[in-house]
Amino acid sequence: MTHISPYVLLRSVAAISAFALLQACIKPEPPNPEADIETFTVPDSLLTGDIFIDQSNRKILLYLEPEAFESGIAPRITLSAGATVSPASGDSIHFTKEVVYTVSSASGENRKQYTVEVVSIGEWKWSFEKWLVQDVDNYQYPVESEGEQVWSSGNPGVALSGVPKQPSGYPLRSTDDSKDGTHAAELVTLKGTTLSGIVGIKLFAGSLFLGNFDINSAFLEPLKATQFGQPFAGKATRFTGHYKYTPGATYQDKAGNPVPGYTDSCAIYAVLYTGRTRLDATNIHTSDRIVAVAQLPDGSGRGNWTHFNIPFNYIPGRKSERDMMMAIVASSSKDGDQYRGAIGSRLVIDSLAIIQ
Amino acid sequence: MNIRNIFLISILAFGARAQAQIHLEHRIQAGFNIGGTAPVGFPNTIRKVDSYRPEFSPSLGYELSWRPSATHKWGAAAGVKLDYKGMTVKDEVMYFHTMITMDDGSGKSEFEGAFTGKNKTTVRNAYVSFPISAIYMPNDKWRFNLGTYMAWLFSANFHGNVSDGYIRNGGSLGEKVAVSQAEFDFGTDMRRFDVGLQGGAERRVGKKLRVTGNLNWGLRPVFPSDFRGMDFPMYNIYVTLGVAYRI
Repeated sequence: MTHISPYVLLRSVAAISAFALLQACIKPEPPNPEADIETFTVPDSLLTGDIFIDQSNRKILLYLEPEAFESGIAPRITLSAGATVSPASGDSIHFTKEVVYTVSSASGENRKQYTVEVVSIGEWKWSFEKWLVQDVDNYQYPVESEGEQVWSSGNPGVALSGVPKQPSGYPLRSTDDSKDGTHAAELVTLKGTTLSGIVGIKLFAGSLFLGNFDINSAFLEPLKATQFGQPFAGKATRFTGHYKYTPGATYQDKAGNPVPGYTDSCAIYAVLYTGRTRLDATNIHTSDRIVAVAQLPDGSGRGNWTHFNIPFNYIPGRKSERDMMMAIVASSSKDGDQYRGAIGSRLVIDSLAIIQ
Repeated sequence: MNIRNIFLISILAFGARAQAQIHLEHRIQAGFNIGGTAPVGFPNTIRKVDSYRPEFSPSLGYELSWRPSATHKWGAAAGVKLDYKGMTVKDEVMYFHTMITMDDGSGKSEFEGAFTGKNKTTVRNAYVSFPISAIYMPNDKWRFNLGTYMAWLFSANFHGNVSDGYIRNGGSLGEKVAVSQAEFDFGTDMRRFDVGLQGGAERRVGKKLRVTGNLNWGLRPVFPSDFRGMDFPMYNIYVTLGVAYRI
């Protein structure tokens, strides 16, 4: 018989009893306090672009064919486990007045309201005059004159990293330093926080793009969180606008180390591509759905307001289809998606347009 | 012979007289701490404990015990110990409220949210403890003790990760963010001072050797009240299993 030392035996017995004790302490499961609309589905034939549920601003953004807008839709809705919604899944909704979905959690205590917003871009022209402040994290985002949300930025992701909850704490905000009207969009590359440093993010580049920010991917696949593009019809010929750019003092690599002799530059481009599903930062330059590109050729510093007027360069062999999307992307550090750039780089943009 | 010498002699004489009557015992204690730094009564946000393992947590100390005479059953003891207290727990949580605050000198960053998914926590703290006990020796074999302890933390480890789940920004109504793995380290947030109750039993197994078992129950939460990493208090609850050797 093998000899087991009494100590080892005693220690095992104690460990097993401690584990058993821990298991015995488990209480009944708490009722689900969550009240999300997780999916919102209508037949693809009614859509010009994929539906987006903006969980940060509690909006359901719809991109509808004109007939669907006229006749209304009957969406299928899925919710957090055990939650209920009114109007119910499958009920018809009409866009003669504002539609609000109210979700109640299984626990009963929590309610969440989602406003339905039918998004369509009438005129492809922006001067960034109207900005809203997000309720909880206090970052700004630009909206159309009717309040529609067509632009987005990395701000919702930055909000998770514990920056000061005020508009100036975020990389995208409005500024009075404008070319046209009274406001313009200001994009500033900011230093990462201690929290973001843990996940290897040492800086936040300022970004502004047509499309949506998918917060669910912000940690896991940040490059997929930036969903670029809005439904587009017609033929794009030129991309125009005004900007100013001041690169920050010291360019740094992903690890936060300075890279001597390198100056930050900005990125401003428009991409026209086929389909209803948005491209993101992983494929906006490489997808074979891309039909045409208009890109600012030189992203170096410009002290004064500088006009650009760039023709769309149509890629030979690529054909337009019925469903098209247009992305416009701007960043205060062109390698910001790789978390490289110079803290303090500042890009101001105003009066953008797609000339058809 | 000056006054100082007289004073010294009388102390020695008194000491010798006292020695003849009272019974003092010097002992070296060695053992391992097994237990947990844990809430008393689990919150319902902890759904499952997947595994538990004690960390290598030795305890080494010296104790002086005193009884009015060698045959007296009651006495008292005081000691000093080096105590490691540690464990690794893997568990699953649901809607677990947390707030992480970090300050790197240049500014404070904060994140508050509710996490659902897996958690792994490793604790390994080193304390200098000062236990004080009443002792009871009903016979030659057994010895019981009950008392309190005070402990100062000099090396703190409280870290781990969350994985395979999601966190909601701000709380259960906030937007959901998928998390594959994120590390946390709350070591520097821990309180430096712990106080609690302790008691146990010993059985003689040799001329000078006894096997011992002693429960140490911390009464002070290991994190300060303004710490929001976990929204429930946690205590040091450890059993020391070991030996005591009379010297």
